[in-house]
Amino acid sequence: MFIEQSMNRKVITIDPEAGIAEAKEKMLQYRIHSLPVIDTNRNLVGIVTDRDVRSAWPSDLFSEEETLRQKDRSAELKIKDIMTADPVTVSPANTLQDALLLMQKFHVGALPVVDRGGKVAGIISLRDLLGAFTEVLGIDEPGMLLGIVADDRQGQMKRIVDAITEEKIRFGSVLVSRHWEEGKRAFFPYLFTHNVLQLKKKLEALGFTFINPLEWYLRDQPSKIEKI
Amino acid sequence: MKKTGFLFDERFLQHQTGPYHPEVPERLEVIYRGLEQRGLLSQLTLIPARPADWRWIEAVHSIEHIRRFEEACLMGKSELDHPDNQICEETFQTALLAVGGILEAARRVMERELDNAFCAVRPPGHHAEVDRALGFCFFNNVAIAARYLQAEKGVRHVGIIDFDVHHGNGTQHIFERDPTVFYYSIHEHPTFSFPGTGREFEKGLEAGYGYTLNSPVLPGYGDEEYRDAIEKDLVPAFDRFQPEVILVSAGFDAHEDDDMSNINLSTSGYSWIMNRVMELAERYAQGRVISILEGGYSLSRLPELTCNHMEILLKG
Repeated sequence: MFIEQSMNRKVITIDPEAGIAEAKEKMLQYRIHSLPVIDTNRNLVGIVTDRDVRSAWPSDLFSEEETLRQKDRSAELKIKDIMTADPVTVSPANTLQDALLLMQKFHVGALPVVDRGGKVAGIISLRDLLGAFTEVLGIDEPGMLLGIVADDRQGQMKRIVDAITEEKIRFGSVLVSRHWEEGKRAFFPYLFTHNVLQLKKKLEALGFTFINPLEWYLRDQPSKIEKI
Repeated sequence: MKKTGFLFDERFLQHQTGPYHPEVPERLEVIYRGLEQRGLLSQLTLIPARPADWRWIEAVHSIEHIRRFEEACLMGKSELDHPDNQICEETFQTALLAVGGILEAARRVMERELDNAFCAVRPPGHHAEVDRALGFCFFNNVAIAARYLQAEKGVRHVGIIDFDVHHGNGTQHIFERDPTVFYYSIHEHPTFSFPGTGREFEKGLEAGYGYTLNSPVLPGYGDEEYRDAIEKDLVPAFDRFQPEVILVSAGFDAHEDDDMSNINLSTSGYSWIMNRVMELAERYAQGRVISILEGGYSLSRLPELTCNHMEILLKG
């Protein structure tokens, strides 16, 4: 769960003295939304996003004369004029959870990864995080989700995992959540199998129940099934 | 009344899946007995199984996959690629027989010896990928049939309707770049159900974009949602695509009494779907339907569901 394993190492960067047209081109070419700004020593000095570039670009709404004036002004603008200096960063040793919380807190879509020496080692974007969490859920492999209700006391998870293991079923993840019923918890193992009949029997014998799919819809209950 | 073929062979029972497995030989036994008891057998044309020519299997699967499967059976292994895919010595031959029988059914339908056909085969096929067995499936029966129809019978547009409660990942992947085979699947929503694919946004790739269509149904729902999805998604899509033959991946595990899913399709809901499939086939495909068994694990419900299915094929 470390940034180092999920970050993108091929960072597309830009020089603070570059013009904004160069930033626009790079973002289009690589289909990315932000560029770390680095000096000649690869030290991070800022970040520039597509929003910064858009704000600095002349709007189509201006009159022709005004557009020309704005274009001249934009042509003079350098990255250092529009970038965010001192951006939010993470280190390779930070975790994916850190990145998630930071992005949420600062409303940013990407974080430059800076090593101890202040040099840019990579970048981690919301897209990289989504990929990492898809992997964490295990849903890129064929499988199915089971919804199990258990009493909210210690050791229940172990009993469930033991039963899955005894059935020789591999699993991608187990999500745990509060259940709407007081004193209950819901477990959602994602199992790499098409055959859970025996496991379900086993879990039932251990006293677990399964979430009735009709109860999954808290607000929008399915209407009574109408016979055709 | 239509001339309806019925592919069944006692050798399909030889594929044994071991204890605690839902895909059992009894599934076919109860189907056969059900048809017998309802007096339908005499109205059907029995199609014998015969081993398929390898070249048709190779039209879909990698040669490595075919050899690996054959070797695993010869060596007496108990599974292929995953413990879900239990095998015995006879499994490979059974799978070859199933494909061969299906191709014979397809040939007879195309040569007007039959109007349509139901293939009660084991093992099922729609989860099988080009180079991997998955979800009780080894050879992708329906995909091989589609390739056969195109290569041997000059069919340009093949429409596949998959109403097994699980998404046919294999069939989708095989044809997702191909605009000449339309794959439509309606199934339990992939967040909850095996194999975890088949979301609305999976619509095909590259030249095949727009020729894959998925209607996921949330757990707990049934007839009404199936009817809505088929009218809103499938019917207009086939209207545009104009399939010349319709292949059906017929899975009966969306039934409310089948414990392999949380979908509550009723017996009459299943009949409604098949009637609608037949209407589409009459409109575009000169009534040509080749229906191939996939899942369906409720031994008490399979007879009535497949008998109704047969009656609809016979009625046309």
